[in-house]
Amino acid sequence: MRPSVRTLQMAPATLYYVALFLIPLLMLAVYSFYSVESFEPVPKLTLDNYVEAATSDVFRGFYLRTLRVALTVALIVTLISFPFAFVLNYVLPARKHVVYFMVLVSLFGGYIVRVYAWRNIMGREGVVNQTLLGLGVVDRPVTLFLNSELAVIVALVNYLIPFGILPIYAAMQNVPVGQVEAAQDLGGSRWLAARRVVLPLTSQGCVAAFAISFIATSAEWVTPQLLGGTGDQLIGNQIQHQFGGGLNWPLGAALALTMVVLVVALLGLAYAVIRRWLR
Amino acid sequence: MRNPMATRSTRALARAYLIAVLAFLFAPLVVVVLFSFHSVPRMSLPFEGFSLRWYDEVLHDPVVIDAMMRSATAAVLTGLLSGILGLSIALALVGARQRVRAATMVAALIPLTFPSLLYAIGLAICYHYFDVGYSLKATIGGHVIIALPFVFIVLSASLDRFRFSLLEAAFDLGASPWLAFRKITLPLILPAVIGATVLAMALSTDEFVVAFFTAGQEKTLPLLLYARINQGLDPSLNAIGTILLVATTGLAWLSAVRTAKES
Repeated sequence: MRPSVRTLQMAPATLYYVALFLIPLLMLAVYSFYSVESFEPVPKLTLDNYVEAATSDVFRGFYLRTLRVALTVALIVTLISFPFAFVLNYVLPARKHVVYFMVLVSLFGGYIVRVYAWRNIMGREGVVNQTLLGLGVVDRPVTLFLNSELAVIVALVNYLIPFGILPIYAAMQNVPVGQVEAAQDLGGSRWLAARRVVLPLTSQGCVAAFAISFIATSAEWVTPQLLGGTGDQLIGNQIQHQFGGGLNWPLGAALALTMVVLVVALLGLAYAVIRRWLR
Repeated sequence: MRNPMATRSTRALARAYLIAVLAFLFAPLVVVVLFSFHSVPRMSLPFEGFSLRWYDEVLHDPVVIDAMMRSATAAVLTGLLSGILGLSIALALVGARQRVRAATMVAALIPLTFPSLLYAIGLAICYHYFDVGYSLKATIGGHVIIALPFVFIVLSASLDRFRFSLLEAAFDLGASPWLAFRKITLPLILPAVIGATVLAMALSTDEFVVAFFTAGQEKTLPLLLYARINQGLDPSLNAIGTILLVATTGLAWLSAVRTAKES
């Protein structure tokens, strides 16, 4: 095939990417330096938005909480996903295609539907409370579940587990079966084989599982809004607020990009730590 | 497969673990589906009896029907557009050098690493700046970007299995590039293209964040569900949720089956 034909074939997708991916992200970056005059973004370039994002006590609280929740969720997701993938691939391989398929399909099991379901399950008038009341176990609805950080974490872990399982499981498909068996033939226990052979060889998958969960949580706003209390809102809620009622798009853009910088820095750090630990 | 790794008790423990995690994964979905068939407006056990009243209510609600139509439109157009763009990249990469393919792969996967909130607000700024306005079309524009990396993953997996010798044989036998494309390349990658297109439809149907910031008044089904959650819990929401679930998981299942069949 001549290169000119290839260029022609690449052109539509490339143009589409530039127009609807690169330019929007570029605009986001540019807007983060804009000023606001009477609720309208104006092209007067300033660093004020970043200064506010970095120095405001309010935002610092949101950033710290977001990073803490993201770290918790990513750790739990990875810790649940690795044994799941391991069991599926090594201990119970007979059913692995069916179960893998279920996990894959549940990945598409409705983002907003899940949040709604948890609200339903944990809310004042939710399934848990209504059932407890109906059975006479409690005489007033328990308000402990909904509007708490716990609810946010449970819902996010629930939503992200498939994203954790899939990369680890995929990485396990590339581990030579012989190496695992060799470790056992040499007298290693199952756990030793898992720790010394499978874990290092699937570390990329584990890192992917951790990173995906961490990034997804760091920009989350629907889950905390619908399941968290006022004290459990994340930086994503602040960003969304600036684009909604807050009407300060440049500040919202700066808040979002500051979050990206924080996430990239922390993931880099986490990656270094995990690699050390796995060695 | 020989499985020396498990004694009977570990196998029982392992099975219990798998079932527990799967139960946790599907619990919220089961609750929604179950109570969408509940005959009384109460979301609690014990279950009083089955009824289709919530579906009857929802399917006679013009606002819900409008949202369903918009979601369906977005899914079909996202599928077609990302399928065509993905196919054209895939064709460009048939026979390309490994380095070119790897570089394209990396470039195509970059959007996956961006949280959708970031992309959504960037897109919203962009539409505002260029006076495009917010509409279903605007949302579809973003959904294609969200779907393209997945389309590309499916298509490049198919390309990895592509037998170039068949193409060479066709050329040796005097086939024109067009004939070779129609008789060899297209039939070989078509299942993957269809699988990828259906996957893009599932992603679009489920997508919330980009739609939230770009759809304006033209609310899709997930946006309608969100708006109604904010108005208060109502048993008919279970029916909306179930319809949405059946659409997304059905499409995902279809796509996985198609892709599995091909490999």
